[in-house]
Amino acid sequence: MHSTYHASFWIALLVGIASGSVGPFILLRRMALVGDALSHVALPGIALALVYGLDPFYGVVVFLIASAFLIYWLEGRSRVPPDAIVGLLFTASLAIGILIIPNGDIIESLFGAFPVLSLPYLLAILLLAAVLAALCFVLARRFLFLIVSPDLAKVHGVDRRYDLALLLIFSMIVALGIKLVGTLLMGALTIIPASIAKNVSHSMRRYVITSAILGGAISVAGVWVAESFRFLPGPAIVLLGVALFVLSLPLARRRAA
Amino acid sequence: MGNETILTVEDLGVTIDDVQILHGVSFTLRKGEALAVLGPNGAGKTVLFRALLGLLPYTGTVRWQPGVEIGYVPQRFSIDPSAPITAMEFFLLQSPNFWRPGAEFIAHLDHELNLMGLNRGVLRKSLGELSGGETQRLLMAWAMLRHPGVLLLDEPTAAVDAGFEETVYAVLHRVQQERGTALLLISHDINVVYRYAQRVLCLNKTVVCQGPPVEALNPAALATLYGEAGFYQHEHGHEH
Repeated sequence: MHSTYHASFWIALLVGIASGSVGPFILLRRMALVGDALSHVALPGIALALVYGLDPFYGVVVFLIASAFLIYWLEGRSRVPPDAIVGLLFTASLAIGILIIPNGDIIESLFGAFPVLSLPYLLAILLLAAVLAALCFVLARRFLFLIVSPDLAKVHGVDRRYDLALLLIFSMIVALGIKLVGTLLMGALTIIPASIAKNVSHSMRRYVITSAILGGAISVAGVWVAESFRFLPGPAIVLLGVALFVLSLPLARRRAA
Repeated sequence: MGNETILTVEDLGVTIDDVQILHGVSFTLRKGEALAVLGPNGAGKTVLFRALLGLLPYTGTVRWQPGVEIGYVPQRFSIDPSAPITAMEFFLLQSPNFWRPGAEFIAHLDHELNLMGLNRGVLRKSLGELSGGETQRLLMAWAMLRHPGVLLLDEPTAAVDAGFEETVYAVLHRVQQERGTALLLISHDINVVYRYAQRVLCLNKTVVCQGPPVEALNPAALATLYGEAGFYQHEHGHEH
């Protein structure tokens, strides 16, 4: 039962749902680009882990969590334009990562692969993805409060720590998906379902649910396409998502009209 | 009007980027009282509110009655108009149950909406679809939802139609009478201050005058506050 394909299928489903659940909040916070670039930071983490003979996942987690704190810190200082700094830093990480990672591992690190995992490892990833997705729903009210009005949120006792919580959840979801989707494309997986769902949703509650379903569906379909046609799973998932986004555009225009 | 003090402010100062915005501001707000904050543009009225709410660093003392619920109506709020957030969901931010609100919450919400002259239909609209007036009324209904002990209103009628302005103040007056809500409101309209406020706080970087409007708003104080030209304009009660 536990073949690489099955493992990929389950990771795609649960990490896809988690990506779709966190995406709307990242998108509405106008952090789509930062979120997209965040996954690039994982690359030096992978590189260092490989150099020291560790599991790349730990490198990824450490680097992504550190960047979540960095973004949070930058956002708290009005004098620094975070997007410029984040853009520079994240691109630099990509460059550093490429220099250090052994040639044989570069493509896989960038674009993902069908992962080979032990069963406990796989189950841990699936469980964590499910918990992170659930957290997005449980904390939705607070995340939305900070999006609608940080001032009103603070008056009602919802402070910026929930912004940090959102960034950390987001980083962890990206970390979980990187093996399958790759550092270059994983950020996109969090943004694409949310972008499609935004075009067809009228309320926030439907928006998050639709995005979560789309995240799971696109990822599973991407894995199936990649398996059938012997593509890398990352590009297959992302291209499928982008195609669906283009198809959803007329719906967005109708809603706006 | 009771003698219970809701808010005590002593020697409040706010400095932003080395520019002193407010200094030496002291006043109190009592239960069930309406205190109007009057002053020209750039006098620091909104900054005062933000400091009172703990949204800005300040010096001096701001002491709220322990446990008092604060309702805040900001001047405006900016939200991405394409964001799929309904007015209902905006209210649900105050509900412990965001995903499945209880019937009690909905019934209570209906009541507050009616008070502000809004009907249920508005709840289905997304925040980006609301007109300026609807947004303003929604913000007020939102702030009153939990029956706060004090309402801070930053120019509550700036965006509503002229005809509705009276309604807004009538509702505020009713809430003040029936629920004993204290009102702290920023207004540009001196007529509103005379009609609805028991006390006025004239602000221009610091407190220029305070007291009951008829006493505090003497020609000398108004001249200090607005300069001569502004004073005459207000005296004739022009909209501006």
